[in-house]
Amino acid sequence: MQSLAKRDRIDMLLKIGRQWALIFLVAELVFFSLMARGFLSLNAFQIIFFFGTAIFLMATAELFVIITGGIDLSAGYVMGLATIVSAKLIAAFYQSGMDSLSSIILGIIITLVIGLIPGLINGFLISHLKVPPFIATFSMLGICHGVSELLISEKAAKNLPLLANEIGNGNFIYFVNGGGISFFSRPEVPRGVKVYEFLPNVVFISFVFIAVFAFILARTKFGQHTYAIGGNKDAAIRSGINVNRHIVKIYMLSSFLASLAGVLYVLKYVTGKADAGASLLLDSIAAVVIGGASLYGGKGTVWRTILGALIIAVLETGLRIMGIPTFDKYIIVGVILISAVLIDQFFPEPTYEE
Amino acid sequence: MTSSLNQMIEESRLLKVIARNWAFCFLISFIVLFSFTGRGFFSIVNFQNIIHLSVIAILMASAETFVIISGGIDLSIGFVMGLSSVTAGKIIQIMFNSGNFSPAFSIFIGVSIALVVSILPGLLSGIVISKYRVPPFIATLGMWGITNGIALKICKGFPVAMLPDSLTKIGNGYILYFKRGDGFSFFGLPYGVGNDKIREYLRLIPNSFIFLIIILLVLWHLLKNTKFGQHTYAIGGNEDAAVRSGIDVKKHIVKIYVLSSFIAGIAGVFNVFQTGIGNFTTFGAMYELFAVAAVVIGGASLMGGKGRLIASVIGVFLIAVLENGLLISGIEPFYRYIAVGLLLILAVVIDELFPDLF
Repeated sequence: MQSLAKRDRIDMLLKIGRQWALIFLVAELVFFSLMARGFLSLNAFQIIFFFGTAIFLMATAELFVIITGGIDLSAGYVMGLATIVSAKLIAAFYQSGMDSLSSIILGIIITLVIGLIPGLINGFLISHLKVPPFIATFSMLGICHGVSELLISEKAAKNLPLLANEIGNGNFIYFVNGGGISFFSRPEVPRGVKVYEFLPNVVFISFVFIAVFAFILARTKFGQHTYAIGGNKDAAIRSGINVNRHIVKIYMLSSFLASLAGVLYVLKYVTGKADAGASLLLDSIAAVVIGGASLYGGKGTVWRTILGALIIAVLETGLRIMGIPTFDKYIIVGVILISAVLIDQFFPEPTYEE
Repeated sequence: MTSSLNQMIEESRLLKVIARNWAFCFLISFIVLFSFTGRGFFSIVNFQNIIHLSVIAILMASAETFVIISGGIDLSIGFVMGLSSVTAGKIIQIMFNSGNFSPAFSIFIGVSIALVVSILPGLLSGIVISKYRVPPFIATLGMWGITNGIALKICKGFPVAMLPDSLTKIGNGYILYFKRGDGFSFFGLPYGVGNDKIREYLRLIPNSFIFLIIILLVLWHLLKNTKFGQHTYAIGGNEDAAVRSGIDVKKHIVKIYVLSSFIAGIAGVFNVFQTGIGNFTTFGAMYELFAVAAVVIGGASLMGGKGRLIASVIGVFLIAVLENGLLISGIEPFYRYIAVGLLLILAVVIDELFPDLF
């Protein structure tokens, strides 16, 4: 009887231990609420999500690739390429006399289609020519970096329509103090009346996409095949999955999400930069690993990855509000990344189905 | 098609040698090509420049060669280099500017401390990798962030300047200075000749070249002729077999990461001598990724067990010559990134197509 109770207690501990990321996030929130003045506010939370969109999207992109047992080093520079391509396209359309909204939409759609190309090539190299993912995507990193520097060196992207800035820094819902809700555009109010802003547009857009991909991963055949390939590639081939084609799709998906992050970057900052996503490599892989995925493949979920990304995003904003230089962020993320693997080993997943 | 090509290569001895050393053949053909397209490419001065400027990349690639042969990967070397450079710079700056120490002594202390400090990241990632079974990619990526953060904290985000002049005199000096009809001198301009006349002298054999040759010889001997090197190949080829044949694999892996981190530390110290300031590593530099590229172009496999130091050095030179040649031929430097990417894919595809050759 007593040993059973003891085993229950150990099981309980293991269960709690496996949720360490959530506990860590809560601890982080409490810490910054106590230490950083102004952190505990709706505004600060929206800022976390606003600046975190790139990390969320890139981490989701990386998650799909890591589940199949691969790695995508090129995502950061695909994002950079997308920022430049979309900025130049939107500016070009706008200057050729199109109205702002349609030039933005057209520019974004064309960029997202172009953004599939690096993934297509990556996937083809990896699945058909058997180039290791590390090498193939690093080559693509170089190619994207070179192409985007070449594009920007001729003429910088400028003269974007003002509307881009309004969309990127606008909010989904405006709530006027004293009654009245307005969507998308800031309502005209008399002086002194406070307008509350909810849900920045870029956060809304990125979470719509993340939700769609979370559904795809968890509930569809596509998602199940992704796990199957990561878990055991030979078994996946034998069970009739077209593995080569699936891997091409995965890398295209990853580069699609990266270029979406790039497009949102343009809406936010109204400019294109070749190394816009260069420092996101550590952050996105760290988010995926903190979320419990294994680099050997077959494991990981979108919501846990978002949890991991949130830990990093909260850290970044919290440190900034406390006035600590961002240098500390790199150290802390590095330490969390290594400890994440250690902690996951300490609380192993049960080998039986509960 | 590939099979018939394979057969043809199998039959012809010359083709076999060429296919096996394709990187070297590429290097030669690049040199020939750029000699035609770029004025001043084919000259002793330019070749010395190429060597002098690729010392850091060669050191990085040799560090990565050891790690990759053992079947791992070290992503932290670029930032370990920055850490070592900044540490050395900071200590030299403080000691030199306090006025109590001679430049030579402060350089000596700064360099020694930086080299000792550079061992620590490798020691930590080695222990985490071998003892706690963290994948090398994760462990060294974590160290990537940690060393970068510490380096930036030490230098507060700015390069460490105000160092003694003698640093660059050693780092950018030459063994022999020669002027026709005027004689020659060793290690510096002849007495009484001002620095403004330096262009009139033919400068031969950079100090960095001698430094590089010594380090490469030591590492080459270590990898090729010692037990340490053989064990490295054994672990990369088959870790289980290595364990069963009595090699202390865990200890050896720690040693390999310490070695790679230490070589990166040497590169950081060299960086101080070359530029005269302590530089932190920027995100866009990607030393570690270019090092991996050079090693793979040299024919190593990321699966481990394969690779040669000389081949990695040739890989670095291939990239360096390409970069230098494009620059001299007046082509935008950004093509460099694209060219390296294409070369890398080519390297692996050649490896895949002709598996029996290597």
